[in-house]
This record gives sequence, structure tokens and C-alpha cells, in this order.
Amino acid sequence: MNTPLVAQNLVLRTLRQVNDPELDCNIVDLGLIYDIQIEGTKVRVVMTLTTPGCPMHESIRWGVHNVLLSLEGVEEVDVDIVWDPPWNPAMMTPAGRERTGVLF
Amino acid sequence: MTGIASLVTAMIWIAIRPDLLATYHYNQYIIAVTHLFVLGWLCSVIMGAMYQLVPVALETKLHSETLARWHFVLHTVGFAGMVAMFWVWNMKQVGHFGSVFGFGVILFAYNLTRTLARIPRWNVVAFGISSALFWLVMTMLAGLFLASAKCWPKINPLDPIASMHAHAHLGVLGFFVMMLVAVSYKLIPMFTLSEVQSSRRALTSIVLLNVGLLGLAITILFGSVWKLAFALVTVAGLVCFSIEVLAILRARKRAVLDWGLKQFLVALALLAPLSALAIVLCWPGLPLTALTAQLETVYGVLALLGVLSFAIVGMLHKIIPFLVWYSSYSKQIGRAKVPSLSELYSERLQVISFVLLMLGLAGVTLSATFSHERAVQASCVVLLLGLGAFALNVAKILSHLFRPRLAPLAGPKLVVSP
Repeated sequence: MNTPLVAQNLVLRTLRQVNDPELDCNIVDLGLIYDIQIEGTKVRVVMTLTTPGCPMHESIRWGVHNVLLSLEGVEEVDVDIVWDPPWNPAMMTPAGRERTGVLF
Repeated sequence: MTGIASLVTAMIWIAIRPDLLATYHYNQYIIAVTHLFVLGWLCSVIMGAMYQLVPVALETKLHSETLARWHFVLHTVGFAGMVAMFWVWNMKQVGHFGSVFGFGVILFAYNLTRTLARIPRWNVVAFGISSALFWLVMTMLAGLFLASAKCWPKINPLDPIASMHAHAHLGVLGFFVMMLVAVSYKLIPMFTLSEVQSSRRALTSIVLLNVGLLGLAITILFGSVWKLAFALVTVAGLVCFSIEVLAILRARKRAVLDWGLKQFLVALALLAPLSALAIVLCWPGLPLTALTAQLETVYGVLALLGVLSFAIVGMLHKIIPFLVWYSSYSKQIGRAKVPSLSELYSERLQVISFVLLMLGLAGVTLSATFSHERAVQASCVVLLLGLGAFALNVAKILSHLFRPRLAPLAGPKLVVSP
């Protein structure tokens, strides 16, 4: 197994720079990131979006791709968007709920 | 842009000729302005938005962008020619330009039908949109028949005013209101972080609207007293819709609603006075007086300028920032700090525009009811000021196309290396 060349918590912190422009909140605090797998220089992100048919689908996917490629030690990024389990507001962090004014 | 230009032109036209709303609505000039408003403003924007929205809402791709471009050409030539020919009352040419417009409608309906045919899951939104497409084609055919009947009166033995009213209901209720109801079941949950609470109730609303409209069109055409029964069926559909919208809003997770969505919801609320007026106007034995004749005009104003225009302006507050953001920033996300959608426009201008449009609408409906020309004129000026505030906001949003506001990313930098 290849040794990760980038720390998982750094990937997560980096992903906080990608915002959902409609909700004006980063995708980590929105609870959209389901899994991060790192093998050598390859990072795989499993994530979802707030709604199927989200008009920002491709933009957010490219945002994740772009921001992770800016990390030293990352040469390949796979972004898998999945709908199971479906996203719900309970997945948001307290900071995300506060930022978006989401009731839960 | 074609739609907004048509709206402003129509409003200036009425401000210059307030008698068009202050007198009975069966004359060539009000028919010309109405077609400018309905085809130029409402149809242009809604059809354009559908090419964007339907694939997104139903998770598929548009069948053909080429057909959509040809439709735009035929649509623009068709409606502009129709409006000009209605104004000079050359019905033969209305028929010719109407055929050009109608060919565009066929392309639009074909393109969206093929798009709907490939959606992964058939749902209430798709059912509503396909119903709206059906009624759009029916409206167009009815319009062409009415234009032909003006050239060859023998082909239409029915009352021409009743025929015009049936044609108007097919279009406004069948296409526009049906579309409004269908997309609401997608857009309101999407923007409020909620979901449809009862698919059965949502489906019932669409079925009742379809049944009600079919009956209404026939009973209006033949002047039947059963008109009231089908009006009540239609209103029942709208009541189901309203209950479902309230349930969606109650279950929402997003506490604060932005002004675009608020304006859209106000438009839906205006369906209540519109429905009440509809029931009054189709009451059996209602005498035709100067007041009831003007109430028919107010009914049209409330539907076109109130419900539909408010809903469209509300949604444009959401759609225009999205389209501009997508064009200017979608490739930059993750590379630079990009603004959120709410940073593209001014909320203060949204509120000013909303208040002025509400005041203008109230003024036009009241002054048209009492045939007060000067008040109609003043109300149109207020409406134009509201549109001016809206236009300023649109200009502010569009400025991001020419001068994107990008900033460096502020997060962690490249710190880990082998």
C-alpha cells in the first residue's frame, strides 16, 4: 500500500476553501464530504450535494478537484458524487448551521 | 433580455395609453399590448428558463440546443410581427406571423418532450411540465384558429369574445400557471432545504388543474352555467397546491428566506384574490355592467402582472445571479476565493423594487377597476420605477461578467511534502 504523502486533516482543511455559492458555506461544514482516501499522491473524495439536480454540481466537483491539486504531494484527484445516503441538514457541523441559519 | 425589453416596452405603452386598461378589453390595441406582454415578456423568459431549468430539475440533458436557437429566432420574429399586425389590425398578417410563432412552439414542445422522454424518474414535476406543454400547443392552435376566423368568419360560429376568453385561459392557466405549480414543487424545496411533503397531494393539484381547465375552456366557449363548477375544480387544485407549499415551508430547514423567494411566494399568494375574482366573474347570471366589465380587465392584470410577473421577477433574482456566477466563477472555484450568489446583487435594491412593484400593482388594479386613466398612468410610472430598481440590480450582477471579483484563497497552504 502506498504511503500517504499528504495528511488527511490537511485535505479536510483545504476543502473548507470550497464554498457552496447558494448557501454561502464551505462544503465541509455543510457535511457534504463522506470519505477521503489517500494513497500516495492520489486523493479520492466521496461526497454528496444538498439536492440531486443541484445546478452547482459540476462547479463544486471542479472546485474540489482544483483546490486539492494545489496541495503539494497531490498529483491525482478523484471526486465521486454519491446520493446514498442522501444529504440532510443533520450532517452539518454546528458552524455550518450557524452560518446558513439552518434549523435543526 | 428579449423578455425584459418587452416588459418595459409594454409598461411604457400602457403609461402612454392608460385608456387601454381603463376601458373594455376587446379592442385591437389592448390585444396587441397583451400579446407583447404575454409572448414577449412571459413566454420569452419562461421558455428560456425552461431550457435551463428542466434538464437541471429532472436530472437530464436538453435534447437539442440547435432547435432551441431556431426556436428563439422564430419566437422573436413571430411575436414581434404579431404585435405589430394586431396594432394595425391586419389579421391575415397576424395569421402569418402567428404561424411562424407556432412553428417555434412546435420546436419548443418537441425539444422538451424529447428531453422529458429521457429522464431517469418520472415524477410530479415532469407530469406538470408535460401538461403545460400540451396546453401550450392547444393555446397556439386555438390562437391560429381565432386569427383564421377573423379572415373567414364562417368557420367559427361561436361568440368571438368567449372564444378569446377560452384561448386566454388555455394559455394563462394551462401553460403559465401549470408551469408555475410544477416548478414550485422543485424550486421551493431546493431553495429552502425542504422536500415535497405529500406526492399524492401534489399530483392531485396537477390532475385537478388539468380537469378544471378542460371543463373551463369548453364551458367558457359555449357560455355554459357549468363554468362555475369547473372554476371550483380549478380552485380546488390551487388549494391543494397552496396546502402543499405551506407544508413544504413548514418543514424547511433554512430559516431565512431571501427576497427573490419571498417575491415568488407573494406571487403564489396572489392566486387567492385571483381565484376569488374568477369565481365572482363566472357566477351564473352575473350582469354585464361597466364595473363587471372592468373586473374582467382587473382579472387579467392580476394574473399577468401580479401572479406571473411577480413569480418571474422573483425567480430572476435567483436565476440571473446563478447564470452570471456560473459564467464568471465556476472555473475559478477552488483556485481563488469567489463571491457567493448573494454577494452579486444588492438586497436593498431588491426590497425597493419589490415595494414599488407591489404599490404599482395595487394602483393599477384599483384604478383599472374604477376606469381612472390618470391613476392607471401614475401606477404604471410606479411600476416602471420598480422595474428600474430591478434593472439596476441586474446591471450590478452583469458587471461580474466583465469585472470578476476574485481574491486569493485564504486557507492552508502547501505544507506537507514527502
